[in-house]
Amino acid sequence: MSTPQLVEHFFRHEYGRLVARLSGRVGVQHIEAVEDAVQSALMTALESWTVAVLPDNPSAWLFRVAHNNLVGELRQGTRHRRILEQNAREDVATPEISVEPFHAGEVQDDLLRMLFVCCDEAIPVESQLVLALKTLCGFDVREIALRLFTSEANVYKRLGRARSRLRALPPRTDALTGEQYSSRLPAVHTILYLLFAEGYLSSHAETAIRRELCNEAIRLAAILAEHPVGRTPETSALFALMHLHAARLTARQNGSGGLLLLEEQDRDLWDRQEIQIGLEWLAKSARGDVFSRYHAEAGIAAEHCLAPSFEETRWDKVVEYYSLLEQIAPSAIHRLNRAVAVAEWKGPAAGLDVLEGFEPPTWLAASYIWPAVLADLHRRCGNAHTASRYRTVACDAAPTPAVKELLQRRLQISHPG
Amino acid sequence: MPKYLCLQRSLPGGAGEKPSPNQMHEMYARFGAWQAKFKKNLVDPGGKLGHGRLVTAEPAVDGPFVELKELLGGYMIVSAGSLEEAIEVARACPGLVRSGSGVEVIEIHAP
Repeated sequence: MSTPQLVEHFFRHEYGRLVARLSGRVGVQHIEAVEDAVQSALMTALESWTVAVLPDNPSAWLFRVAHNNLVGELRQGTRHRRILEQNAREDVATPEISVEPFHAGEVQDDLLRMLFVCCDEAIPVESQLVLALKTLCGFDVREIALRLFTSEANVYKRLGRARSRLRALPPRTDALTGEQYSSRLPAVHTILYLLFAEGYLSSHAETAIRRELCNEAIRLAAILAEHPVGRTPETSALFALMHLHAARLTARQNGSGGLLLLEEQDRDLWDRQEIQIGLEWLAKSARGDVFSRYHAEAGIAAEHCLAPSFEETRWDKVVEYYSLLEQIAPSAIHRLNRAVAVAEWKGPAAGLDVLEGFEPPTWLAASYIWPAVLADLHRRCGNAHTASRYRTVACDAAPTPAVKELLQRRLQISHPG
Repeated sequence: MPKYLCLQRSLPGGAGEKPSPNQMHEMYARFGAWQAKFKKNLVDPGGKLGHGRLVTAEPAVDGPFVELKELLGGYMIVSAGSLEEAIEVARACPGLVRSGSGVEVIEIHAP
C-alpha cells in the first residue's frame, strides 16, 4: 500500500477553503476558533490518510472533521454560548452535514467573501495582507515572515490587529452588503497587487518561493475576475498585469540563481501561453472610461512582452504609459522608470534630463535603485567619475548578493585604453 | 523475522511546533515515499490510539490513572532483522520523530 497523490498545495488550499467556509457559517468573529479547528482537522487527516485509504472525497471528509471540531470548541467556550443559542439550530450544530462535494461556485463565493472580509477599512493594509496570507493562502506565521522579509513577532502583531478587528464585529453582521463589496474592491485590488509584487519583486533567492506568491495572487485574482462582484475593467487589467509579468518570471534568473536584466533575458524562455492570456485580459480591460494604474502597468508589461528584442521595444509607448502612471499614481519610482525608458528611446542624456532637479524621497535615495540608475545613465553619457561615485553607493546599498552581482556587472566602467 | 512494536510517545516539554499546511503536505508526500521504501518491513501500519479503559481483576481500583493515549500517539508494527534495523525504519518515518514526540521501538518476543 502506498499513499495516493494529493493535488499540489492540497493542505494549504484546503486550509483556505475551510476557513472561508466555516467562518462564513459561524461568523468571522470566531476566526481563531475556526483556524484552530481547521488546523486540527488537517492534522487528523494527515494521521489517518497515511495509514488508511484516502477517503473518496477528501475535501468533504476534512469539512466534516473541521466542522465537528469547531462545534465542539464553540460549545465548550462559555464566551460563545450565547451565539450558539442564537444560531445553533440553523447553523452551528446542524447534525446532518452534507458530504456532497463542494460546488465549485460555492467555494469561490466563500473565498471571495473572505478576501473582502480581510480588506476591512478598519484594518491597516499591512495587516490585511498578513491576514489574507494566513487565512486564504494557508501560510503559517513562520512562512509569512520568511516571505515578507520580516520577523515572526511583526507578523503576529499585524495578525493580532486584524483579528481584534474581526472579533469586535457585532455578531452576524459580517455578511457583506453589495455596497461594501464595491467600496472594498479597490482595497482588494491593492492586496492582490501587493501579494503579487511580494513574489515578483522579492529579492528572495528561491524562485519557487517567489513563484508561489505570484501563483497565490493569480489564483485569488482569477476568482475575482470571474465573479460578478469583481468583474470590472480594473480587475481585468490587474489580472492581465499578473499574467504578463508571470510569463517572464523564470527568465529573470540565470541557471545559478543570479538576476538577469531585461536586455539579457532569453526571450524564448518567456511563457507564450501566459502572455496570450495576459493580452486577452488586457483587451477585456479596455472597456468603460476607466484607465487605472493597473491599465498603465499592464500596458508597459505588454509592450515588453510583444517586443521581439530589447532594442525593438516601442520605448515611446512605454514612456507614454509611465507618464500616465505618474499622473494616476504619483510616485518617484514611476518617474525614475520613465527616465530609464526615455534613455532607451532618446538616449542617456535625455534620460538624465527627466531627473534634472528632481529630489528623490528618502526611501528611494536610500535604496540601491536610485544610485544605480544614475550610475548607469552617467556611465552611458561618458561621465566616468560621477558614474563611479553612484556605482559605489548603489553596490553598498544592494540588499542581496544577487543584486550586488548584477549591479557590478551592469555598472562596470570600461576604462579607455 | 522478529517483529517490533513502535509506539509514538509525546516527550516531556510540550507538543512542539504545529506543522503548517505546507509542511503537512510535504510530510504526506514523504510518508508515501517512506512506505514505498520500507514496504517489506511494515507488517501493520498501525494508527492513532483512541479511547480505552483499564480492565482489572479487582472490582474497583481507585484512580486516577494516566490514560495511555495521553502518553501514546500511535503505534505500528515493523518486522526487521535487528532492533537497529527496526529503529532505522522508525527514524525514517516522517513526522514520527519530531520535536515534542519520539518513538519507542520494542522487540516483540514471539514463541
